[in-house]
Amino acid sequence: MFLENSSKEYDVIIIGGGITGAATARDCALRGLKTLLVERGDLCDGASGRNHGLLHSGARYAVTDPEGARECISENRILRRIASSCIDPTGGLFITLPEDSLEYQEKFIKACRDCGIDAEAITPEEALRLEPAVNPRLIGAVKVPDASVDPFRLVDANILDAVRHGADVIKFRAVTGFLKENGDVRGIVLGGSSIRARQVVIAAGIWSAHLAELGGAHIDMMPSKGSLLIFGHRLTRMVINRCRKPGNADILVPGDVVSVLGTTSDKVPFEDCEDIRATGDEVSLLLQEGINLVPELSTTRIIRAYAGVRPLVVADKAASGRNVSRGIVLLDHELRDGIKGLITITGGKLTTCRLMAEMATDLVCEKLGLKIPCTTAEKRLPGSKVRKSGKDPVHKRAAVGRHGSEADIMDFNAKGAGEIICECEQVTRAEIEYSVKNLGVRSISDLRRHTRVGMGTCQGSFCISRVAKVLAEVLGTPDKADELVKDYLQERWKGMSPVLWGDTLREAEYMHKVHRK
Amino acid sequence: MTYDIIVIGGGLAGCTAADVLAGAGKKVALFAEGLSLHDATEGPASPKAQARSPYSALSALSAKGVTVFRGDSIVKADLSDDGSHVVRVFSRNLGDEPLVAGAFVLATGKFFSRGIISYMGGVFEPVFDADVEFEPDHGKWFDTDFFAPQPYERFGVRTDEAGRVIKGGIIIDNLYAAGQVLAGEPLSDEGIESSGRAAAMEIMKKW
Repeated sequence: MFLENSSKEYDVIIIGGGITGAATARDCALRGLKTLLVERGDLCDGASGRNHGLLHSGARYAVTDPEGARECISENRILRRIASSCIDPTGGLFITLPEDSLEYQEKFIKACRDCGIDAEAITPEEALRLEPAVNPRLIGAVKVPDASVDPFRLVDANILDAVRHGADVIKFRAVTGFLKENGDVRGIVLGGSSIRARQVVIAAGIWSAHLAELGGAHIDMMPSKGSLLIFGHRLTRMVINRCRKPGNADILVPGDVVSVLGTTSDKVPFEDCEDIRATGDEVSLLLQEGINLVPELSTTRIIRAYAGVRPLVVADKAASGRNVSRGIVLLDHELRDGIKGLITITGGKLTTCRLMAEMATDLVCEKLGLKIPCTTAEKRLPGSKVRKSGKDPVHKRAAVGRHGSEADIMDFNAKGAGEIICECEQVTRAEIEYSVKNLGVRSISDLRRHTRVGMGTCQGSFCISRVAKVLAEVLGTPDKADELVKDYLQERWKGMSPVLWGDTLREAEYMHKVHRK
Repeated sequence: MTYDIIVIGGGLAGCTAADVLAGAGKKVALFAEGLSLHDATEGPASPKAQARSPYSALSALSAKGVTVFRGDSIVKADLSDDGSHVVRVFSRNLGDEPLVAGAFVLATGKFFSRGIISYMGGVFEPVFDADVEFEPDHGKWFDTDFFAPQPYERFGVRTDEAGRVIKGGIIIDNLYAAGQVLAGEPLSDEGIESSGRAAAMEIMKKW
């Protein structure tokens, strides 16, 4: 359950509420361990919520990193089954432009097949028939099993499953130190209080370096910033990639009704990670490259720009982010640094989250002297249970689309439950109540991650006061509505300001007139 | 079609100017394309807001003898050879029918109402391609604090002291800007109304 603090003693404490931590908490809970997950902010607030939302087939890595590619395709198949409600099986297309080489395409197809990834070459005509928006200058195309995944839903589903199997979650509390006895880690310190555990797992993305330092170990990490743009339309059905060595802005991922273009890759200092924003130069670079994939991007409204930080672990002295290992890094600090009770799991990809969790949990079990098999690859996540077929009432359909079978436990019968609070995304009061109750939502930004409230084309201009009123009521603090609005608008502004022109500036002028008194 | 004055824009500034000019017996035409930012965001509850709802304001002007073209907008203008005088303008709905007047009021608002249009590299004024004051560095268009005054709000058309629009450095002697289309400090509702009145007074002095 969601707690403010805990006096229990746990088998394992996991630090970090991103996808790695959430998946690890789920695995530990499914294996019957007494589990606690601690997150300093909201779930999915770091790199897990600031990426493409791409379920890799592994094709992108087949040429340069076959091991990573094999992990991807294997996990891709598992997640399609266990997390079906979070995934849109769009398929992917790798296009070759005249400035790229068809020789590379040949090498690419062979590498994919060696890794067990279905890769089928199709003619440019066939590619344009499937995807009329791709660059008509293309000279080759390859179909691969890429897909679109909603990372927010995937984190939620893992957390829900963990909680339903007895795990506890503490949000909005930062770990400030470790309980130590004879140099061994015996738990965590949260400001004034401490919580004991037999094992502690750091799964905090780029912040793992800092946490390991607190625990007495050193991990050489390199924050690599990736910026992305969200466009106000879904321009393609499939994920579109460039068939060349991975570079900037060469992936366009359709998600719900928008398209996400990214990314850049730049080394940034650690202090920048706390408030990471996309810059004007990055926006220009993304657009400049992105129109080679889909020319229509040049005239499509950009809703916002955002950035995340990849947790790269430095294996050598490489200078730029793209060559440093993006593979899974599991550190046994007992073996490595002589610190008992401490494990770090980092690196990896959204696509390989379940595998990372399995590896970390295997190690936890080994340390605890337990032999319990992992079942996360077989058991479906909440929301992805098979639903009885039949017609859902209109006001429930958007919730079913977002939460799958979880929508069936939302109370749509209560008075006013079907009232639409956010029109763009068709979010109802029932869905808001569910999110507060099941996911520990406190702010509109939290609510947005779990329901898509305010994520549509109006970015909250029209609905946000109404959302705030309902959320404040459900939270039992009706006088806090204004504060909720202010906090939310600042956050939206962060993503709107770098792309402030055209219709987005029109929207901004309206937003300022309505909400800035 | 010939009028004494053509007012472009049916928001607070345009309606105020048209009201003053019609009150002084001028033959006025007003083009009101859509909702102005003021009208789109004004709550419907207060009596003042109801009196100035776009529908009742435009109806009141019609009753005063102003020819109101609802849902139409001026899209093009012909200037004299030296660029110092608007000769005629054209509207979207009336096509190539020339619209002639002694003086013109540009009250098209800012970004929301498309009086000023922005793109990735800059901004422009779409009817006359008038000179627009703006910040060339996009990174300086906004303050990172949503609630702070925003630099983009100061963008707008350049005018002389009499409020006449400047294009290519040349003052257009019969084109007066009013309301949010103006460059400089963003105007309050009262400021918008008084800029509409000021444009009307200037026009009556000269035209």
